[in-house]
Amino acid sequence: MTTLTTTPIPTGHTPPRPGGLLRVVLRLHRTALVLWGLALLAATAGLMWLGALADEAERGNSACSTPPTDGLMSCAAVHAITADETYSTGIAFVTACLAWLMFPVAAWAGGALIGRELENGTARLAWTQSVTPTRWLTAKLAVPAALLTAGTTAVVLLGVWARGEDNPNLVGDWYYPDVFVGTGPTAVAYVLAGLALGALAGMLFGRALPAAGAALAGSLFLHNLLEAHRGDLWSTVTRDKSGWEIPRSAFQVSATQTRVTLHPQSHFWPIQYVESGILLAVAGMAVAGAFWALRRRTI
Amino acid sequence: MTDIAIGAAGLSKAFGAWKRTMRARGHVDMRLRRGARPATTAPQRTTGLSQLDFRLPVGRICALVGPNGAGKSTLLALAAGLLRPSEGTVSVLGTTPAAARERLAYVAQDKPLHPHLTVAATLRLGRELNPRRWDHAVAERIVAEGELDPDAKIRTLSGGQRTRVALALALGKRPELLLLDEPMADLDPLARHQLTGTLMADAAEHGTTVVMSSHVVAELEGSCDHLLLLGAGRIRLAGPLEDLLAAHRLVTGRAKDSLAPHTVVESRTTGRQLTALIRPEGPTTPGWQATEPTLEELVLAHLRAPDAPALTLDDAQEAAV
Repeated sequence: MTTLTTTPIPTGHTPPRPGGLLRVVLRLHRTALVLWGLALLAATAGLMWLGALADEAERGNSACSTPPTDGLMSCAAVHAITADETYSTGIAFVTACLAWLMFPVAAWAGGALIGRELENGTARLAWTQSVTPTRWLTAKLAVPAALLTAGTTAVVLLGVWARGEDNPNLVGDWYYPDVFVGTGPTAVAYVLAGLALGALAGMLFGRALPAAGAALAGSLFLHNLLEAHRGDLWSTVTRDKSGWEIPRSAFQVSATQTRVTLHPQSHFWPIQYVESGILLAVAGMAVAGAFWALRRRTI
Repeated sequence: MTDIAIGAAGLSKAFGAWKRTMRARGHVDMRLRRGARPATTAPQRTTGLSQLDFRLPVGRICALVGPNGAGKSTLLALAAGLLRPSEGTVSVLGTTPAAARERLAYVAQDKPLHPHLTVAATLRLGRELNPRRWDHAVAERIVAEGELDPDAKIRTLSGGQRTRVALALALGKRPELLLLDEPMADLDPLARHQLTGTLMADAAEHGTTVVMSSHVVAELEGSCDHLLLLGAGRIRLAGPLEDLLAAHRLVTGRAKDSLAPHTVVESRTTGRQLTALIRPEGPTTPGWQATEPTLEELVLAHLRAPDAPALTLDDAQEAAV
């Protein structure tokens, strides 16, 4: 039998510091990190500027009279103000970006984060270092989840500030699909669901392009499904139409000749919570599925 | 048993949807559908394994030989803990492959590396992912010997240079068991010679067990002291190289002579002359020319005769003789 001296085996059971793995994840996805940083920077700068523009935009949207009377500006002066259009377009653009952020995130997670690593074998390279596949996937999900949550939350809060008085003429009604998603916690929940769906698609397909496509398709389905059924997420209020004008702030779900079913604006938060809950549940199941697929793939 | 580097007991691996059909046929030979290959190359043809039993003692340099698709890559991936056996067990360094993860290094056939990282960043990745074992000097020396620019991106490197970086990553980990899948395939003869030298010196110095797969036998001759010959997912030959060579004779005699009672691996008749590789079961016939085969002759004879009986020689058996 061979007797020999081998390198000393570390006997301690202290797990290796997680810092190394986290730094590796950040280093490997530096392009995505830089893009996310730039997007956040642009969104912050844009929203600060839009927020500063809010008062001027409000004036450009105010009532007027010709000739000017007490308290009302002349219509020529009001029309001369273009800030309201700039403001509306800017706010709508940032809100739409927030509402649709899930799609690029899902495609990136399926393609670049997981799928490509499985496709070109670099995942196996990581798993044969001192990193278990479980820790690898955990870090792969935790780092982007933390950065996406922090960044999205910041932009949503800043966006809510920049919306100022929430004048629906300028920033849209609360129940517009984009506005609803882009002004509450659902924005973050959608992004996390996109990340989780991407990870699941990546683990299932093991190749970048099909995984990115499947993640995108899954996200589109989820996004449209929830948008179509948003009115059903909380119990509605039904009112008699006669002698009552439906206020603009009511999210009208359905109507007959005499009766209307709607959500008053006070349902904004309950619906936000229910929708976020559904999305986080989907994200949780997708993550569980990704770990299941990982375990099926390796040991 | 901690002095066994790799032990397999009834180790089988079948792949995908063909599993049942193939098991019914008694052998497994199919494509790995989710192979770890770039999409630009042909799908990796990975063969399953059926009922492997062998033990590789610690400290050996083992040649893992077999024709294309014999299951070499599958066996190495099983030992590296990247695949789960369908049946049976594989133990590595006295424990499971997953528990031995820190103590083994594995270089896959296609040498996967992150193309957008530089050489230096790739080595830093090794240090970050192996915080308790990493020897940066070793890794840097192997890269420096190849005169690689540390700031060069991996995607700009040639196949041979990538191999060097992959080996640097593996040796920098200071493994007790080094699993190399076709390590030298992309290297020019000089680099092959030099890297083999580095590898062997390193293994000798630290008592590393090395398992190196290849279908080019000449690549392994002279550096290995243990042989594992696979064919169609089964073991054909396993054991210390010297013992395996000593157990065989390359004989030349007259065509009408009988080879009984010896086990004939392969025999060929040219005119009135008979050449055969046999496992002697007693004294050879007087008048025959009998020599010990070389590694290449041994392997080629077994490859040409897929139906020849398998032979496994353990150290334990050797001790008992």
